[in-house]
Amino acid sequence: MKSTSIYPFTAIVGQEKMKLALILNIINPGLSGVLIRGEKGTAKSTAVRALADILPEIEVFTDDPFQLDPHEETEVYLEIARALNLTGAGNGDLPDTIKRKVRVVELPVGATEDRVVGTLDLEYALKKGEKRVEPGILAAAHRAILYVDEVNLLDDHVVDVLLDSAAMGVNTIEREGVSFSHPARFTLVGTMNPEEGELRPQLLDRFGLCVNIEGIGSAHDRVAVMERRAAFDEDPENFIRRWEAESRALAHRILKAKTLYPGVTVEKSMLYEIAQYCLDVGVDGHRGDIIILKTAKTLAAYGGRTQVTLEDMQTAAELVLPHRVRRQPLMEIADNVHAIRTRGAGKRKTDDSH
Amino acid sequence: MHRTTFPFSAIIGQEALKQSLLLNAVNPGIGGVLIRGEKGTAKSTAVRALADLLPDIDVVQGCAFSCHPDHPEDGCDECCRSTTKPLTRTRRRVRVVDLPLNATEDRVAGGIDFTPAVQQGRRALQPGLLASAHRGILYVDEVNLLDDHIVDIILDAAASGENIIEREGMSFRHPARFILVGTMNPEEGELRPQLLDRFGLCVETAGARSPEDRVALMERREAFDRDPIAFLRETAPWNRRIAQQIESGRALLPGVRMQPHLRGFITELCTENHVAGHRADLVMEQAACALAALQAAPEVTIEHIRQVAPMVLVHRRRETQPPPPPDDPPSEKNDSSEESASPEDRKPEDEKNQTSAEVHSTPSEQTRGENRTSPDPGEPKPRNGDERIFEIGATFKVKHLSAAKDRIFRRGSGRRSRTRVSQKQGRYVKSCLNPRYGDIALDATLRAAAPYQKQRRNGSGLCVILTARDIRGKIREKRIGNFLFFLVDASGSMGARGRMAASKGAVMSLLLDAYQKRDRVAMISFRRNEALVNLPPTTSVDLAGKLLAEMPVGGRTPLSAGLAKTHEQVRNVLLKDPAARPIVILITDGKSNVALSDQNPVEEALGLAAAMTRDERIRYIVVDSEEAGLVSFGLARRLAAALQAQYFKIDDLKAKTLVDIVKGQNP
Repeated sequence: MKSTSIYPFTAIVGQEKMKLALILNIINPGLSGVLIRGEKGTAKSTAVRALADILPEIEVFTDDPFQLDPHEETEVYLEIARALNLTGAGNGDLPDTIKRKVRVVELPVGATEDRVVGTLDLEYALKKGEKRVEPGILAAAHRAILYVDEVNLLDDHVVDVLLDSAAMGVNTIEREGVSFSHPARFTLVGTMNPEEGELRPQLLDRFGLCVNIEGIGSAHDRVAVMERRAAFDEDPENFIRRWEAESRALAHRILKAKTLYPGVTVEKSMLYEIAQYCLDVGVDGHRGDIIILKTAKTLAAYGGRTQVTLEDMQTAAELVLPHRVRRQPLMEIADNVHAIRTRGAGKRKTDDSH
Repeated sequence: MHRTTFPFSAIIGQEALKQSLLLNAVNPGIGGVLIRGEKGTAKSTAVRALADLLPDIDVVQGCAFSCHPDHPEDGCDECCRSTTKPLTRTRRRVRVVDLPLNATEDRVAGGIDFTPAVQQGRRALQPGLLASAHRGILYVDEVNLLDDHIVDIILDAAASGENIIEREGMSFRHPARFILVGTMNPEEGELRPQLLDRFGLCVETAGARSPEDRVALMERREAFDRDPIAFLRETAPWNRRIAQQIESGRALLPGVRMQPHLRGFITELCTENHVAGHRADLVMEQAACALAALQAAPEVTIEHIRQVAPMVLVHRRRETQPPPPPDDPPSEKNDSSEESASPEDRKPEDEKNQTSAEVHSTPSEQTRGENRTSPDPGEPKPRNGDERIFEIGATFKVKHLSAAKDRIFRRGSGRRSRTRVSQKQGRYVKSCLNPRYGDIALDATLRAAAPYQKQRRNGSGLCVILTARDIRGKIREKRIGNFLFFLVDASGSMGARGRMAASKGAVMSLLLDAYQKRDRVAMISFRRNEALVNLPPTTSVDLAGKLLAEMPVGGRTPLSAGLAKTHEQVRNVLLKDPAARPIVILITDGKSNVALSDQNPVEEALGLAAAMTRDERIRYIVVDSEEAGLVSFGLARRLAAALQAQYFKIDDLKAKTLVDIVKGQNP
């Protein structure tokens, strides 16, 4: 099949918050994903698929279905190879490595659990007397982006296994007499339309960032959307070429931010600011704090700075907290984190004065 | 797969969690910990970190069940019978065995290992997760989401200390003593009380409230993420200290004494908290001893008991009284008028009840309810056509409602009705001839192939030769969600006396229950002259809740229109998914007064209802919102009869706790 051309990421009009959240996740996979909530037709899926363009490269073994890291996961590779009787595994040989782009692996809504976690071909096993494990989508998603369109429509039991591996970074197959595990650390990107039902709080919490998006309000921008789309449909290759320079610039900026990230420092007063923010807003647990910190650092790196500013922190909080604000089951997801904060902070002051 | 784990000593706060884990490490007899709490509070981190602190264990080399080389007599059958003594030994770290939510029964308990079966024709056991967890930690994340039958197996093994396999033609037992650690988020549904009781301790975790702690936490996490190895080196001395504490605690434990009068104190604590059974007493004693050993005290003091008591009692405590009778509906609007009216009304009513030979010998909910519908001139009547929005009344835990079992295969998830499933999940109940979903039943397949083995001999080198016709499939059963249709009467008559608030409370309770059981829902309301589909079929229980809160009340009661609309909607659902089993929940007082045609409205509704029972896939439940009183029409009951529905008063919907049931029987 001929690969279809993809609409360039940089050519998407507006939706800056969503684009920022996606870029931050590419710079720092430790942010553990984005949930994009919004109406239909707001370039959600387009943006995620377009990421392929600006993703950095990673090194992998050739033909390795588990995409292990040739430098850090060689032991794991040998272990898995032994378990699966891969060729050349017995004497500890490692295959060649190649460099290729990080993938966007799509998880279809109708996927069965077997396809997601992987399975044993039992009929083959019974007839031949050997085990043959078929790796699932989670194996392909290791060190990649796992994209779930309409994540709120996913079957609950698939969600459960997804949560399990997202939390532990390991996918374990424990069924039909097979016990097998492989690393599965992925950046989870989900899109959903809230009208079709909410996600369960646990799954929500697994997404590092969350953005609410809507259609664009200004007529000028809407026209730009139509024009670009028409130009793309007419002659995709030409259109992509036109945007190539910008895409390359963005990819370059991402790479630079990646190298800058480890050196970004945070002042202690900023940490207090984060902690106070989370307390004011009222979030469960500590994942919020930790992810705001990471996001703020990534933002600084993306901005070419090595010091986190207050603005970085506030932008980060807006991305990290909307879905973490404590709420009763059956309640709406918070939209405006800042407003909640001012309310929370105000309440604290009155409490203090008493 | 070995990963560096965040060290135990570096976890900030969560003292109860850390202590409960240490107590279990010192004395596995306590029976595990259940950790309830918010997400992101170091639950999993603490469990994994604990394993790094536990001393290495001696095991028999090559034994899949981690038997102790010095005590082969408590080991598995094989080590027990082994003639080479002493057994070869090896040391290894303590394992944390994760139980994934999708694990099947044979992987948890163990099953036939097919490689020797096919290659050598030998029946061998493939040990399950319980075997690898022996003398280690079994960690179940989200234990409340696990299939019930898997939870049963685990708790059974945890309680008896051994795992007995009696399935697929195997009979085998091996020891399985492990520290069971489960986590759960109560919002996603509760564990059954008998399962709760099996966990020795229970702790609740919450995030730190002081900014200082939160900052320290972020700093440590950053330091760990930056360079895990250096971070581990830095914290090593503290970790070593805790490890030594555990080791010396284990050594001291057998020598810890307890004064007999302290047992009395324990019993008192347990009875004060209305704990059922004796497990709490036993666990508390064990935990107190472990705490004393951990603190290197030779004797248990009252302080030790005080410290462990909350962890032992929190999940076993019961209310002294059944939950407060819901006879004051929480609608603020009507409360004041009612309060002034009811005391005078109550007396004559009660006397009347006692003199008349009523069936109700106890002042049950119903008789109490009767007081309130007695004619009351003081109450402001809602004007006709006046629209009001009532708040949602108090919610409660709903009785288990489910559809009947049948033979249709379905897909899906959830926890309402048991059904056969067409997916590789759930309990394996039996085998069938043609495996439809690639779900092969190993035992049945081997049995089917067995008679032909002699004539099939060939040079394949395998001991069992299988052909396509030997293959047998598994039939599995599990619970899945249903389709719940709410048909809500929003007419003016419902607005009286906070009835709507109580009804909304009931619907809300059902919705919360639907969320936990993963049902699909739809909501239809009827008032004035028409029925409205407020919420078309959706999985969004949230949306239903919001709509319910905003639902206005007023006008007449077009019950027939409501029924007709429901029928139309349910039929659509059934056309799309013929295997669906919708449950229609009708909340009304049955006082129909608008007809579709020129018939008598009540008769018309009853006729429609009778016609609607023709499709047997649909189940009906009628919740009567009419308060029993002097003038009771009982129309809802007649409607229920016509629909062949289960009939409930709002109060009957409440799940009765064990205490209530016992009390009801022995007044």
